[in-house]
Amino acid sequence: MDLYLPIAEVSVNAPLLVALGALVGFISGLFGIGGGFLMTPVLVLMGIPPAVAVASMANHVAASSTSSVISYTRKRAVDFRMGGVLAGGGVVGAIVGVEVFRWLRLMGQADLVVALSYLIFLGVIGGLMLVESLQSILRRRSGQPPKPRKDRRPPWLYGLPLKMRFPRSRLYISVIPPVLLGVFVGVLSAVMGVGGGFVLVPAMVYILRMPAGVVVGTSLFQIIITTSLTGVLQAGRNQTVDIVLATLLLVGGVLGAQLGAKASSRFRAEELRALLALIVLLVGLRMGLGLFFTPDEPFVLMTGMG
Amino acid sequence: MALDIPSPTAPQLTASPAAVSAALTTTQVRVTSSFRGARIVLYGAVFDPTTKPSDVVVIVRGPELPVRIARKTKVAGVWVNSRPVVFRGAPGFYMTASTRPLEEIAGFGTLRRLGAGIDHLAINAPFEQHTETRYGVRDVVVSRLGADYLDWRRAVVRLKENAGLYDADDKGVTFVDTDLFKAEIDLPTEAPIGRYQAEIILFQDGQPVSRKVRSLTVEKAGIERTLYLFAHRSPWLYGLVSMAMALGAGWAASLAFRRN
Repeated sequence: MDLYLPIAEVSVNAPLLVALGALVGFISGLFGIGGGFLMTPVLVLMGIPPAVAVASMANHVAASSTSSVISYTRKRAVDFRMGGVLAGGGVVGAIVGVEVFRWLRLMGQADLVVALSYLIFLGVIGGLMLVESLQSILRRRSGQPPKPRKDRRPPWLYGLPLKMRFPRSRLYISVIPPVLLGVFVGVLSAVMGVGGGFVLVPAMVYILRMPAGVVVGTSLFQIIITTSLTGVLQAGRNQTVDIVLATLLLVGGVLGAQLGAKASSRFRAEELRALLALIVLLVGLRMGLGLFFTPDEPFVLMTGMG
Repeated sequence: MALDIPSPTAPQLTASPAAVSAALTTTQVRVTSSFRGARIVLYGAVFDPTTKPSDVVVIVRGPELPVRIARKTKVAGVWVNSRPVVFRGAPGFYMTASTRPLEEIAGFGTLRRLGAGIDHLAINAPFEQHTETRYGVRDVVVSRLGADYLDWRRAVVRLKENAGLYDADDKGVTFVDTDLFKAEIDLPTEAPIGRYQAEIILFQDGQPVSRKVRSLTVEKAGIERTLYLFAHRSPWLYGLVSMAMALGAGWAASLAFRRN
């Protein structure tokens, strides 16, 4: 059943999009990420204009994150105070990011920046995660005790002013690092059409040293706030949100997210991380390596914003 | 959206008693959620007291939209888009149908004057052009694109052809009876929204002798139109509503699963 999308102005196969939404939602629930980094490239490959894909993704990410956060809240696995501080930065980042994206499209460089961001961020994070998770899997297989977690937090985290208590995360740190992290993720969310969980989760674990139990829920909570704002801004400033596309994706997405969250308890954490790292790495390479190959067609038409 | 019909200036017709008449079977193409392209069918008749051999050319043009095109260039090992160049005069859709290949019907000059055929479209990049005095000649038009200018122009046509928006069908007009002809033109799903113009030209001895213009509109209809207008007229409200729907759906899903 093909459906003509009113904003994207292309015809798409509706059941395929619902299935895709469900698959990405499942992955999102399983790993506790938004899943935008997977969905946006797939949509672009399917022929949806990148600007519409990036903008409409915000709605999908917000929907599947809401669906997961509610479950995490029941398990008391969300640090709302930390999430709020991160989101404060995220709001600033999203506003800046939407304007940056608008400017990049005018300059004709949006494709390049999106592809490079995917290559760099997904490549680096996927690579690091893969190495780390494989090491812990090997250590467990060979019967060694798990590597003791270094609880020594970087001293600069404590040297900064504006300290604040985060009881649920058992932290007493400066708000500057989380705010900056939020700004960064907000920009990424607008430019790459992602929630930013793949940056937030490792940053919360390795830089802020938050307890593993609250990381995913808190990251999703901040993602809801940032992507809600991004979605509204993209619609208001760029008119690139396709409500039909977003609805198709999120119908599958919210169901998939619930199933994924249920399935996640059946796997070991490091195995999940290794799998996620592989997916992240592959997507990053797929998006970015095209930049290095000689294109078949040296010219490209810039769509929209004539 | 500024959708202007490219209006070619009415060409000089050779005096002749022959005339052409034509009608479109549909003058309104409605783009709804099930839109998968459309076929425009045109019937026409040739009135000619003499029995000179005639050729019919049908040209369908879509609304003109400036085309932004960039060229990929290698910078430090990475393929990067150049600064985009804006071309004007490129119709969003351009299809010719004729009884024979155009170049057999009329000469180069005639086709160029009529703007008939993809090669004869007046596509150019005015922002890249400026006039200067060269070799003592004033107002010489120079393009900043330099010698590559034709490559750029050809690329515009090639990309539009690949998207199914430009085409020439030299068997697209068929005579179903002695003086009655039929032309079929397919609009792809990607065809732009707006006013289209179908120009029907009768050729005899390589000269245009009669010309008729018919117009049709391609417009969004039903829910597609409502949503499109909503998104463009009140974008902020549209954004809020679509986000509220998304958050609501997420909340509803988690409620539904909790009950299970």
